[in-house]
Amino acid sequence: MRRSLALMLGFVPLGAAAADVAVQREGALAVTIYRAPSRSSEGIDLDDLGGFALVSETRTVSIPEGESRIRFEGVADGIESASAIITGLPGDVLEKNRDARLLSPGALVAATLGRSVMLVRTNRKTGKQTRLPAKILSDAEGGVMFETSEGIEALRCSGLAETFSFITNTDLAATPTLSALVRSPTATTVKVTLSYLAHGFDWTANYVATLSPDSKSMDLGAWVTLANGNGVTFPSAQTQVVAGRINHESGDVQPLDMGEPILATCWPMGTTSDPVEEPVIPRASPFGDSDSNATAFQEVLVTAQRRSYEAVMPIAMSAAQLVQEEQLGDLKLYRVPEHTTLTSRQIKQVRLLDRRDVPVELFYGADLEANQSVESTAAERTLRTKNDAAHHLGLPLPSGRVATFATRKDSTLLLDEVPLRDVAVDEDVEIGVGSSADVQVSAVRETTKVSPRRAVDPPLLRGVLRFSSAVVDDVSRVEIHNASRSAIRFELRLRLDEGTQLIGAEPTPMSRDGRPLFKVVVPGQGSAVIRYRTEHTSVKAIHIPL
Amino acid sequence: MRGKTLLWVGSVLSVLGALPAVAADHDVSVTIYANDLALVQDHRSINVTGGRQRIEFQNVSGKIRPETVSLAADGLTIVEQNFDFDLLTPAKLMEKAVGQEVTIVRVTPGTGAETREKALVLATNGGVVLKIGERIEVLRDDGLPVRVIFDKVPDNLRARPTLSVTVNSAHGGTRPATLSYLTPGLGWRADYVALFSEADSKIDVQGWVTLTNSSGTTYDDAKTLLVAGSPSNLSGNNSWAVRRPRPTLAEAGTESGTRERLGDFYLYPIAERTTIANLQTKQVSFLDVHGVPAEHGYEYRNVWLGTSETPQSAKSVYRFSTSAKAGLGDQLPAGILRFYMRDKRGDPQFIGENQIDHTPMGSIISLSTGDAFDVKVQPTVLKRTSLGDFAWRTEMRYSLTNALPKSVQVAVLQGGLWGDTTISAESQKSTRRSADVAEWLVTVPANGKIDLTATFMTRY
Repeated sequence: MRRSLALMLGFVPLGAAAADVAVQREGALAVTIYRAPSRSSEGIDLDDLGGFALVSETRTVSIPEGESRIRFEGVADGIESASAIITGLPGDVLEKNRDARLLSPGALVAATLGRSVMLVRTNRKTGKQTRLPAKILSDAEGGVMFETSEGIEALRCSGLAETFSFITNTDLAATPTLSALVRSPTATTVKVTLSYLAHGFDWTANYVATLSPDSKSMDLGAWVTLANGNGVTFPSAQTQVVAGRINHESGDVQPLDMGEPILATCWPMGTTSDPVEEPVIPRASPFGDSDSNATAFQEVLVTAQRRSYEAVMPIAMSAAQLVQEEQLGDLKLYRVPEHTTLTSRQIKQVRLLDRRDVPVELFYGADLEANQSVESTAAERTLRTKNDAAHHLGLPLPSGRVATFATRKDSTLLLDEVPLRDVAVDEDVEIGVGSSADVQVSAVRETTKVSPRRAVDPPLLRGVLRFSSAVVDDVSRVEIHNASRSAIRFELRLRLDEGTQLIGAEPTPMSRDGRPLFKVVVPGQGSAVIRYRTEHTSVKAIHIPL
Repeated sequence: MRGKTLLWVGSVLSVLGALPAVAADHDVSVTIYANDLALVQDHRSINVTGGRQRIEFQNVSGKIRPETVSLAADGLTIVEQNFDFDLLTPAKLMEKAVGQEVTIVRVTPGTGAETREKALVLATNGGVVLKIGERIEVLRDDGLPVRVIFDKVPDNLRARPTLSVTVNSAHGGTRPATLSYLTPGLGWRADYVALFSEADSKIDVQGWVTLTNSSGTTYDDAKTLLVAGSPSNLSGNNSWAVRRPRPTLAEAGTESGTRERLGDFYLYPIAERTTIANLQTKQVSFLDVHGVPAEHGYEYRNVWLGTSETPQSAKSVYRFSTSAKAGLGDQLPAGILRFYMRDKRGDPQFIGENQIDHTPMGSIISLSTGDAFDVKVQPTVLKRTSLGDFAWRTEMRYSLTNALPKSVQVAVLQGGLWGDTTISAESQKSTRRSADVAEWLVTVPANGKIDLTATFMTRY
């Protein structure tokens, strides 16, 4: 009976007229991951990956003669379809399409609107089914109306077990599908390369610095932590990551119809025993309506995050294969040495570098506003080295986080974890390693002298406004107290207000980045004093009453 | 059973035949502008009887702007146009049945035995109240299955918002008609793929138009025309969007191409008829040029009194021409240009992208793809001295470093030179891009470092 009905109505599938060729993924696969342009140094959240990737894959396709639509299945969910490049197709590529209307119960009803379906009613007790031809009249706002030979009814408002059996083929797919419409002069089998950008990826560098007991050198190791937040696995892929900030217009909004369940919303269903309230019709959620699903989903995330924290633990490493670095224009490309499988929703780590005995200079420092009085505060500890061969480095260091550990007998101790910017070769590297309660800094303004005021008339506002100026002369003192047994190096950087000049200091400062820098050595269990004098002109405006 | 089905199908067909005339042979042409606006022209042949009647148009855009609809057909006078939003839902149908009779079918659970009764719908507030004979009942108050069967659907309830036009026709018969309207939800932009070859400093550029349809409707076999240019649109969709100038056009061109124009807009017709499906992104190629010379350089822009304690990456900039001679040889519709470059193994890798505006032919485009890892600039305010009451002297240093094994040229731009700011001393000659911006072209040796210094005199 079903067949006779289809024939009677001259039913044709909704598919395109061109021959349809589905292409499974196979062959070479390459994934290059780029960092989130805006992410500074925080860790990777698998659920909110701001980076993206360039995915390239090769597929073998048999193309019939004439027009055919080649569908690429199993592309990443986050594909930015406008960026897709397809090479190797014979003949003319008429157009590339990405269809975001997905197969869902709601889409099936919408596609069948005005067409024939089979209404199936099942007796709940006996299990006996009755089938009746019907036509869907409406699916507006979640309610479904249909017409049978008996009249017009609403789906699932009667309390009977009823549903539709669809007899229409649709060309709707389960996931957004990328396809190309080609016209080939002959039937042929070709190798096609598809590459596209996709979001839902990210990577970061995680450095682990282990300071030697004498604080004169460190071992520096690093991981590349890369993440795939897509629901698609990339088996045996050649994987690369790219360091450096690049422009990416991420505002590419693409329509996506995730589909809706058939809600079968009815008319008001209140009964005489109901409290007087507007009835609330339960709506099914796309993740299923039980709360347990949502909890399970969250638990997955927690596990994934925990793994990323383990990354920074200073585990004694056996020799690992390092990623290979190469120059890519103005960027750095790091290649994972072997093909690797990047599974869906995964965080993966590969070794970036392992350097031993990197000479470092440990110093204590403070950064103060000139002439500001400061109560005793702990000095900041910083490791300084240079990114060159003499310091056992000399390779580009991509931005990420540095965790510094100190060794104490057999155990290790986390000192601090700080962000690191992109460091090119020959640049200085400074890594903060916390503050020290043993070294305290205090500052006090000793004297302030103001010279007699002098009136100035501005050229334009003569007679309206008068300025009065005076030269202010300040002397300040900074004291550093060292409670540790050994002598330490201390650096004080001063921030001067605009127009303030340093006119004298003991000891004599040097200048760095346009700011005065004092370097002193504080003996073990001793103190040091820095005294400086500044001068600036203070200007006050006085209104002259007319 | 079979006989009954066939009979019923026949009756449905006759119902369909009685529906207002919507002929199968229709021909759609779609003109899409770059700012989310499209003109749809729908040519159908319609069958009308003489006199006054209503014609319904289905499959028009779900986001149609009804006030822009116009219908042109021979011998028709339009009385009124309606766009009906009243949707057919179970609740709405029950509401419209108040005061009317419906058939209710009680189904005995277990046996499945059916009892039919006529019922008058009294009210639908909260629950449905029915009058059956002399009794008044609440529908399904006991939770047992009851089917409600309606005889007909009121005229103005529909599955989708529907456009209808009431016309007066001088005579009956079939005739061609054109329905045209404006709709948002259809848009396009260009996507370019540029492969840069570092060895010979050339780019290959492919251009695709990317068409998106979120209008809720599929346009089958449409004749499609894309218009590069944004007509002003007062519908409120884009009025908030401020056109942000992008500093990508280094020099505007003065050449004319062979592309078809309409007023000052360029037209990009799509060669073949195409089906624009709802929620589809479609790409059609329009440009493919190889071996266009391109320059690669660096740029660093500093704000007035900008000072930094760590070196800042310079921007990596690519420049090329759209001229017919040594250029792309076409005007470029607005869109995104993605740069690729081959890695050591010869695989193309993405190196950044930027947006370009509608660009005339013969222009020079300068696009930044991102930050350079190895070329950095550290600006420092060395000293700022007050010279008397309203004048200042500012000494600046720009430390340029290059960790690449080849020398590079960096354009250092100092902005914010307001008023009559002068440069009293500088370590190398500057040029003024404008009164406010000074530019130095600094060559930094391979794996080297160079300091640029300048002293600015300002008054206010």
